[in-house]
Amino acid sequence: MNTHPSETVADRTSVASPDTAQGRVAEGRRPQRLTLARIGVYAFLIVSALFFLLPVWVMILTSLKPMEEIRQGTLLALPAAPSLDAWGQAWSGACTGLNCDGIQVGFWNSIRILVPSLVLSVLAGAINGYALSFWRPRGAELMFGILLAGAFIPYQLFIYPLVRMFSVVGLYNSLTGIVIVHVIFGLPVMTLLFRNYYASLPVELFNAARVDGGGFWTILFRIILPMSAPILIVACILQVTGIWNDFLFGLTFAGRENLPMTVQLNNIVNSTQGERLYNVDMAATLLTALVPLVVYFVSGRWFVRGIAAGAVKG
Amino acid sequence: MQADAAALSARRRGRLRREIPGALALAPTALVVLVVFLGCMLWTVRLSFTSSQLLPRFDFVGFEQFERLLGMGRFIVSAQNLVIFGVLFIAGCLVLGYLLAVFIDQKVRAEGAFRSIFLFPHAMSFVVTGLAWQWLLNPELGLQRLVRSWGWESFTFDWLVDRDMAIYTIVIAAIWQAAGLVMVILLAGLRGVDADLWKAAKIDGIPTWRVYGWIVTPLLKPMIVTAVVLLAISVVKLFDLVVAMTHGGPGIATEVPAKFVMDHLFERNNIGLATACAVMMLITVLAVLAPWLYARTRGGQRT
Amino acid sequence: MKNAPIWLAATAILFATATAPRAQEERAEVIHWWTSGGESAGVRVIAEAFEKAGGTWVDNAVAGGTNARTAAINRIVGGNPPTMVQFNTGRQFEELVDNGLLRPLDDIAEAQGWKDVLPPAILDAITRDGSIYAVPVNIHGTAWMFHNAKIFQDAGVTPPTTWQEVIDVAPALREKGIIPLALGGQPTWEHSLFNAILADEGGPELFRSVYGEGDSGAVEEDGFRHVAELYGQMRDLVDPGSPGRNWNDAVALVITGKAAMTENGDWAKGEFIAAGQQPDADYGCTLMGPHAPMLIGGDVFVFPVIEDDAVIATQDKLAGLILSDQVQIDFNKVKGSIPVRQDVDVSSMDACAQKARAAMNDPARQLEAQELLSTPDRTGATRDVISQFWNNKQATTDDFVQNFADALDSTY
Repeated sequence: MNTHPSETVADRTSVASPDTAQGRVAEGRRPQRLTLARIGVYAFLIVSALFFLLPVWVMILTSLKPMEEIRQGTLLALPAAPSLDAWGQAWSGACTGLNCDGIQVGFWNSIRILVPSLVLSVLAGAINGYALSFWRPRGAELMFGILLAGAFIPYQLFIYPLVRMFSVVGLYNSLTGIVIVHVIFGLPVMTLLFRNYYASLPVELFNAARVDGGGFWTILFRIILPMSAPILIVACILQVTGIWNDFLFGLTFAGRENLPMTVQLNNIVNSTQGERLYNVDMAATLLTALVPLVVYFVSGRWFVRGIAAGAVKG
Repeated sequence: MQADAAALSARRRGRLRREIPGALALAPTALVVLVVFLGCMLWTVRLSFTSSQLLPRFDFVGFEQFERLLGMGRFIVSAQNLVIFGVLFIAGCLVLGYLLAVFIDQKVRAEGAFRSIFLFPHAMSFVVTGLAWQWLLNPELGLQRLVRSWGWESFTFDWLVDRDMAIYTIVIAAIWQAAGLVMVILLAGLRGVDADLWKAAKIDGIPTWRVYGWIVTPLLKPMIVTAVVLLAISVVKLFDLVVAMTHGGPGIATEVPAKFVMDHLFERNNIGLATACAVMMLITVLAVLAPWLYARTRGGQRT
Repeated sequence: MKNAPIWLAATAILFATATAPRAQEERAEVIHWWTSGGESAGVRVIAEAFEKAGGTWVDNAVAGGTNARTAAINRIVGGNPPTMVQFNTGRQFEELVDNGLLRPLDDIAEAQGWKDVLPPAILDAITRDGSIYAVPVNIHGTAWMFHNAKIFQDAGVTPPTTWQEVIDVAPALREKGIIPLALGGQPTWEHSLFNAILADEGGPELFRSVYGEGDSGAVEEDGFRHVAELYGQMRDLVDPGSPGRNWNDAVALVITGKAAMTENGDWAKGEFIAAGQQPDADYGCTLMGPHAPMLIGGDVFVFPVIEDDAVIATQDKLAGLILSDQVQIDFNKVKGSIPVRQDVDVSSMDACAQKARAAMNDPARQLEAQELLSTPDRTGATRDVISQFWNNKQATTDDFVQNFADALDSTY
């Protein structure tokens, strides 16, 4: 599981407030002259950017080269005759053991895992946050505290008992099983996000709706959820990247039929027949990174906001 | 009197009416908290005091598994790696993340592009990161070969297959993935610094680097603490990156506790030892969190 | 037909089950981890024989031995057991036996006379507290030396038959730019190489007392120390690209003539066969050392306890089929192993299989692989120590011996 932009226990930050990282002078007066210091600033940033881009750049180049070219060890040379063969092979022809259907199997499995896990965990977070903020039953805060503490505990402490429990009820190595696991371990962060967001909404809204005789679900679906667009987006981004990037749970709970893309990728890269095809490996790796990267670049500021929501005011 | 009592019971009824739906809605989560977050954890702790091998047994052998664990070469290597990795990874992320945040804060052009570039690895899976760096650091075809092809024949950068250096390749890859996160957190902090403070410092003629060093950094302390806690948690959870990048090798040079647990749970039929190692991980996390939580509660913030 | 009684018994059982009024079709759900090319062809042999006998084979292949066993164990303990489960020959399933979760097979073993045709080492491995609990499928030789015949011809050197000779021929090969010893640089294969030297040079007695009894005293003696020295010298015979390499890539180096030798189990034959190479012509397979033991591993099937007469009948049918002549031959030809039954004629199999059988005919040369002697826990702990020593050229033999003894003392 990728480190969820985690949370701190008490912050009730407003996610809907303007992006903090955009707060001060994002577009301030630019200095007129290029001093030595300015050159230094840009030099540092550009060198850093190269460090961050290099691995991905090399992966892309490698995935476009035939093996003969890769063997020459010219890592940074542009491919003489770029071809997408390795991408095709990675998508639909790479082997894990006997199955040579490529990484697409894992892709569709990941989608099948992601969709229900995403819907259920975001919905659970919304209901929990709403109940915690507006209905406040006794003992709820204590439960919430334990839940948050759970987010810090390494998964290795839960895995074995969960495996045994799932076996008893026949959910071990099943799609339902892996979805339930994702929902369970998404609860702390999702609940926190929605609780903090709802805490920033005016409580008069809720009280007025109560006076009008609205019940629990009516108020949630009619009034609260329609106002929750920003936090829903943030929650979805966090869960999509988190669930897609999971490796440990997929490995342990999904079973052979439902292995997610990350696990499939690791299997493909490690089951070679003769020479290791680095171009196919790299194409498969890039394909696995594609979904979260698309989410990241499309959502840009929202992604940052998700991190900020979890980790402001230590 | 009676009116009072009636009002009281009406209030109570009102509160109940208000509480029951909320309680029902939270019931599934409460169940998860009880069964999974508390139940499973206690079960694991209990198992660590048994002689369980392939199947759970509920005998009691005291601290036998822990004693064996602390005498095992592989566990010691795992624990040492966790310390080396933890210290270097946290320090590296903080230094790089802070520098990136400060330099981005200099009103540079294309700020958005730079920020996107520094943060994008954080969106990817550790498996992807591990494989990317594994390829880049491949001694036969990666960076080492490249530099040699430029004419520097004696250049060696074979850390990935070097027992003593392999753990540092894991550190590099992890910093690459997480430095952007620190940058985002600290940049938010920098943007929160009062503009008047900068004006005052300018008037006093204090050089910029000193303002950052002596005035701004203390203001960022809460952000830094948050970043350290987030990073520390991911240190303890370190697993996928090692599996993808080195499989714990060469030999057992890059083994980590999380992998120790998984291997002993399923491959080596040693549930007692695996759960003992998991409990050690739990203790580590508590040791990281305790001072932080203590400081927070002392700080008088509501939790 | 010297095995007529068995054949008759098997036929009788098949006949009886085939003609019995079937209340329901015979479904057998089987969990195994045979997913690679030769392996799945092997499964097909068993499945087809079962279907031919009127059963329905429900294949539940789980990639990776650990994953498959975990899935099976969880289902057995969870009260939803499959009909039949694959394990490695060895001690992986003994705890299931102790908990009464597996069916004893004494009746069918008696009827088919297993005791007369199975090698003692295998018989020991499937017996616990006097009862038989598993049906063995095959025998794998887990420690063979494979070499590229052409390289040795060109160099005018006789292929080594002892581990000291391996060290002696290395310089000549090095001069020609050939890697003397190719190795998959992963703990499994580092361990495999060590066990080969321990069995071949240290001898069966030492091997059994170290791995079977966990005798740390035996580790302190000269015999073991000599093995450790030899193993330490092997570190200089592999190429720098070895760490992390897969086993089949190491075999490929020998096939393509980049490396002269590699140590591995007989499943490596599959790689030579796939490359179109002939044993004794293009490549050689040798059981090494003065003892030249056949280090025996293999696969077995076990049958979870299911209280249902129809299922029990199905299980009996499967057990009988797996040990039938035809299945034994067909299966082992594609799997690269040799039949587990000593009375099956192997003259139709390749030269390496003949060598294996020759070794199996001499009881003194039958030696159980570590999995048969050690618990998975002990196997794992010794693997860690061996892998640590292999990957650290500064590590001394003394440290290694000490760590090895500690590992034996601390495991169950």
